[in-house]
Amino acid sequence: MGVVKGDQMILNIGPQHPSTHGVLRLEVMTDGEIVSEIRPHLGYLHRCFEKHSENVTYEQVIPFTDRCDYLAAMNSNFGYVVAMEELMEIKVPERVDYIRVIMGELNRIASHLLALGVYGLDIGAFTPFLYMLRDRERILDMFEYTCGARLLYNYMWVGGVSHDLPKDFQKICIGFLDYFEPQIEEYNNLLTYNKIFVERTADVGVIPADVAVSYGVTGPNLRGSGVKWDVRKDEPYSIYDRFDFEVPLGDGHFGTLGDCFDRYWVRMLEIKESVKILRQALKDIPGGDVHQMLPKKIRPPKGSVYRRTESPRGDLGYYIMSDGTPTPYRVKMRSPAFTALSVLDEVSRGWMISDVIAILGSLDIVLGEIDR
Amino acid sequence: MSKYFANIYDTVNTLWTGMRITWGHMINIKRDNVTLQYPEERWPRPERNIGFEHEDYNVIRSRLHVDIDDCIGCLKCERACPVDCIKIDTIKAPNRGEDIPEVKHTGETSNGTKKAMVVSRFTIDMSECCYCNLCTYPCPEECIFMVGGPNSSKHPIDYEFSEFDRTDLIYQFAKKLSPEQKDGLQNPKPEAEA
Repeated sequence: MGVVKGDQMILNIGPQHPSTHGVLRLEVMTDGEIVSEIRPHLGYLHRCFEKHSENVTYEQVIPFTDRCDYLAAMNSNFGYVVAMEELMEIKVPERVDYIRVIMGELNRIASHLLALGVYGLDIGAFTPFLYMLRDRERILDMFEYTCGARLLYNYMWVGGVSHDLPKDFQKICIGFLDYFEPQIEEYNNLLTYNKIFVERTADVGVIPADVAVSYGVTGPNLRGSGVKWDVRKDEPYSIYDRFDFEVPLGDGHFGTLGDCFDRYWVRMLEIKESVKILRQALKDIPGGDVHQMLPKKIRPPKGSVYRRTESPRGDLGYYIMSDGTPTPYRVKMRSPAFTALSVLDEVSRGWMISDVIAILGSLDIVLGEIDR
Repeated sequence: MSKYFANIYDTVNTLWTGMRITWGHMINIKRDNVTLQYPEERWPRPERNIGFEHEDYNVIRSRLHVDIDDCIGCLKCERACPVDCIKIDTIKAPNRGEDIPEVKHTGETSNGTKKAMVVSRFTIDMSECCYCNLCTYPCPEECIFMVGGPNSSKHPIDYEFSEFDRTDLIYQFAKKLSPEQKDGLQNPKPEAEA
């Protein structure tokens, strides 16, 4: 008896589709409603970041790194400037380090809030999205107050930051944290423990730990599979070794380890850890001049550097090669969302089309970073 | 069977919890309202002194502006721009630091620097601008800034400028020179001896 096999249908999702989180086209081979293969087509948002960087000076690269991961532009800046400072052997003042950590963690919260809210939107819950965007707005207001921009900051410079914090920033930020911490419980009641949401996400799209590692998946997606790997802890950059925080791991809260719910849950726990880091950083921040170590001319010596940092999406690495001129010889960016997308085909096989949307949303990809 | 009813109980329970939160916000609409009737009401823009040379420099990046009377045509902002949206042409002034009333050129900036160049063209294409603010830092006369900057009383913050035509977003800051005036500056006539 042979297996009766129906005709394959090719379903095209995107490029203009609200649940692909940008301009991504998915070619989905389906047998009935069961997905047998997914071919992602990238490049709709390709802006030649790496080639373009070779033609502009080192400080002019920073606005372009903003536009790669536009939901966490501070963290994109952070990775680039940390790599540049390693190449140029600059030791930045303590205050700059603290400001960068504060900005990076605030942006991590903002990025995770959007990721969680939009994930609810993908699954079909509209209200939590509005609640999370309401609080994200307050973080963006703080950024606007600090550096004048809400989304694309160009805030961190090689050797410093563009503006010092406002005098009352500490008060505003702690006020926000006091307001924000009870809200996390509200999100949980509103969305996380909702039975409909749990049914849609638990046991769906399981990424086993070995698959995640072999595909190079990083960040909350990897930790959702139970692998303890956080660059902030395991390979500390800047001053992350001074703070006391946990690395949240997925534990199969409602289903299997590594399912969509675990990836969602890890992000929710990470927000809490970021609040913890912020409180410590705001307490310890020293005074000082943030423009003290700005180099007159950025002209690093011949050589190359690879530095990775933990962006909200995972392991964000910059490889910068210098030939001694004011423009970089090569800038390579290792994007965490790109590897997260590559695992989609393997994970979604055998699931239904509506589950593909749930899996894609749980990976939290940003197309600006994938296409660069 | 018991699982079936437990499922129903869970669903109703969690839905009830969620609905209670949204209803709570609905009842306290006056307290929890976060939206504004936009064109009539607006959020206040934060204003602060950033302690970066200027007394009342605002950090808000809304639109580039140039005080052309202060510009000495050094092209530093043009070189700093990562997207090349600033374009400047200059003509060498016949006498450094002297006014040329025919083309409304002032010889000295407000800081007292003598100008060696007449700026014949200063255009900023705001549809290309990426609002990175990199052009404002190298300016030696601090005459290019995001609106709301040093002269915030003169230039109010204008963050929602819009035009019907894309070419209207190319802002011209230099004073208009006719071709004859340009020619006269480039090839100055030897003054008739008395």
